[in-house]
Amino acid sequence: MEKILEVKDLQLSFHTFAGEVKAIRGVNFDLLKGETLAIVGESGSGKSVTTKAIMRLLPESSSEFKSGEILFNGKDLTKLTDKEMQKIRGKDISMIFQDPMTSLNPTMTIGRQITEPLLKHQKVGKTEAKKIAVDLLRMVGMPKPELRIKQYPHQFSGGQRQRIVIAIALACNPQILIADEPTTALDVTIQAQILELMKDLQKKIDTSIIFITHDLGVVANVADRVAVMYGGRIVEMGTVDEIFYNPQHPYTWGLLSSMPSLDTAEEKLYAIPGTPPDLLDPPKGDAFALRSEYALAIDMEQAPPVFQVSDTHFASTWLLHPDAPKVEPPLSIIERMKKFPGSRYYEGVRTNG
Amino acid sequence: MAEKLLEIKNLKQYFNQGKANEVRAVDDISFDIYRGETLGLVGESGCGKSTTGRSIIRLYDATAGEVKFNGVSVHGKKSKSDLKIFNRKMQMIFQDPYASLNPRMKVLDIIAEGLDIHGLTKSSKERKDRVHELLETVGLNKEHANRYPHEFSGGQRQRLGIARALAVEPEFIIADEPISALDVSIQAQVVNLLKELQEEKGLTYLFIAHDLSMVKYISDRIGVMYFGKLVELAPAEELYNNPLHPYTQSLLSAIPLPDPNYERTRVRKSYDPTSHNYEDGEEIAMREVTPGHFVFCSAREFESLKLTSAARV
Ligand SMILES: Nc1ncnc2c1ncn2[C@@H]1O[C@H](COP(=O)(O)OP(=O)(O)O)[C@@H](O)[C@H]1O
Ligand SMILES: Nc1ncnc2c1ncn2[C@@H]1O[C@H](COP(=O)(O)OP(=O)(O)O)[C@@H](O)[C@H]1O
Ligand SMILES: [Mg+2]
Ligand SMILES: [Mg+2]
Repeated sequence: MEKILEVKDLQLSFHTFAGEVKAIRGVNFDLLKGETLAIVGESGSGKSVTTKAIMRLLPESSSEFKSGEILFNGKDLTKLTDKEMQKIRGKDISMIFQDPMTSLNPTMTIGRQITEPLLKHQKVGKTEAKKIAVDLLRMVGMPKPELRIKQYPHQFSGGQRQRIVIAIALACNPQILIADEPTTALDVTIQAQILELMKDLQKKIDTSIIFITHDLGVVANVADRVAVMYGGRIVEMGTVDEIFYNPQHPYTWGLLSSMPSLDTAEEKLYAIPGTPPDLLDPPKGDAFALRSEYALAIDMEQAPPVFQVSDTHFASTWLLHPDAPKVEPPLSIIERMKKFPGSRYYEGVRTNG
Repeated sequence: MAEKLLEIKNLKQYFNQGKANEVRAVDDISFDIYRGETLGLVGESGCGKSTTGRSIIRLYDATAGEVKFNGVSVHGKKSKSDLKIFNRKMQMIFQDPYASLNPRMKVLDIIAEGLDIHGLTKSSKERKDRVHELLETVGLNKEHANRYPHEFSGGQRQRLGIARALAVEPEFIIADEPISALDVSIQAQVVNLLKELQEEKGLTYLFIAHDLSMVKYISDRIGVMYFGKLVELAPAEELYNNPLHPYTQSLLSAIPLPDPNYERTRVRKSYDPTSHNYEDGEEIAMREVTPGHFVFCSAREFESLKLTSAARV
């Protein structure tokens, strides 16, 4: 499938009073046309910074772009002038955040806020823009859109505001939508509606979505592919089935095991011990080694390279090295692997081919 | 038979009563909490979970109703000394540990606050030793006593909140969304800690949450609230396996699980409150459909729920 975005060896730091925070330490991924790529990982792992770097929304005074390329339709976004970037932002690539109020202006009617990008990026007149705004609101499921475009953000509920933000983000039919924890603050039933809405709209306008979340249930629901981030790097990446049913990195094992499953009554939840690494002084080897019962001696010395598990599945763990000892994943992970034809625990019938 | 630690009867908490903007945040709910159990309380934001907790612990004066703790009514007029004892027995932990910890106070003084109020330690050495012990109980260490809240991560702050609540040796803890702001792996650490403490100290919890998978894991029984009413109350397993109120069914059907195959086939039910078609004068009340499984329903609904439940067995 066609690559719409390629992030290559992205390295990025912040300069703070305490020193250099090495927030992104070599991130690589592609985004394909029409797909949803979920990025998961604990807070501080670098999910937001990665996407803000794509949008060039990081504070210029304190952030330092150290290396890498961000190719959007072959164009390197890191090389564009601010003016060129402004043309792309909100038109070709748009972004929605956890708190809809970070994107909404409380003193402006939502009608004006939806028409603004249209007037700016698309050569439409005012009446036409207003018509599109009403259509967009209807599309995101807002009742009585003709009346509601005259209202202000505070007159809407949290879920409705997120719908409005989605309407604004989609106003110019962007090629990429970046959603940073868009449903984290919402109730499950509202979350379910927003996720259904996003999937619906994606089909309609064939946009690619980068969906950031720490909720693995949401990932299983929306993602085609998943990137697992830890300590400023992607430690594992694969299709949604590969990540949930054949995970290879001990950090992914830990994340999946710490969610209680609804059908088993474990006595004790698995909890990943310790806390994420300090990015002021990141460990020189595998950043997860200090929290991992599977760590090998080499993990303390040298960061693991990327090992290929399948055409679509990659993981950065020394456990995949041919000379590494064979370890047994946690029981709950083996249960998952039993469902995956490519795994060594598969219990179904293998078909050839 | 389990012993009732709390009895909540016809509790009501109305805000702006009698005015145009009256909110019936808690509207006539009754339930018991047994000694040593965890009762989970779930429902969407604004349905009245926090207000229920706050009314029980008397942060608000209830509009109506009764709360009994160990058989003694704790609402209404009380002497100062009675209140003080009662305040010690019940403690609360909050969602945002940061907002609930005074940023200018050292951890030592934050945790010792309850000890000081209730005069529980006799010397400054005893006070310090007790705080060190509490820090270790919650998985921190005594070096942390001299630091300020901003020097801690979210999960560590929640541990501080728990240590502060434990300081006065309560019997009952209301945990209001204590893990909602934390990462999955840190949530598991805090939940495990709460469970361990419960076993060690025989604590009783009211655990308020909107994350339904963690609630099932930690709770013995679960109550579901909808617009100020308790609509269903059942043992945790039973509630998930056999939800009877259509609102509970819709809530459970909306939870995404970390299982792509399940997600591809999950069908979401929506809840329409008018679907009950209640007639004027019909009494809607909590009724026990199977032992321990209560549903807020009419007599008519009750009969049909009993029939379908009997057919299931
Ligand atoms: N403006 C900033 N200044 C300094 N450090 C920052 C800034 N923004 C983010 N960071 C640091 O970069 C790392 C990655 O942060 P972020 O991408 O926001 O994580 P998350 O995965 O939770 O979205 C964290 O260690 C964070 O503290
Ligand atoms: N102090 C207050 N004054 C007025 N209304 C309040 C107050 N506290 C809560 N409410 C209202 O009561 C209802 C229940 O709120 P709350 O108990 O916080 O819900 P939950 O904890 O389930 O999200 C909401 O409509 C809320 O706006
Ligand atoms: Mg973030
Ligand atoms: Mg609340």
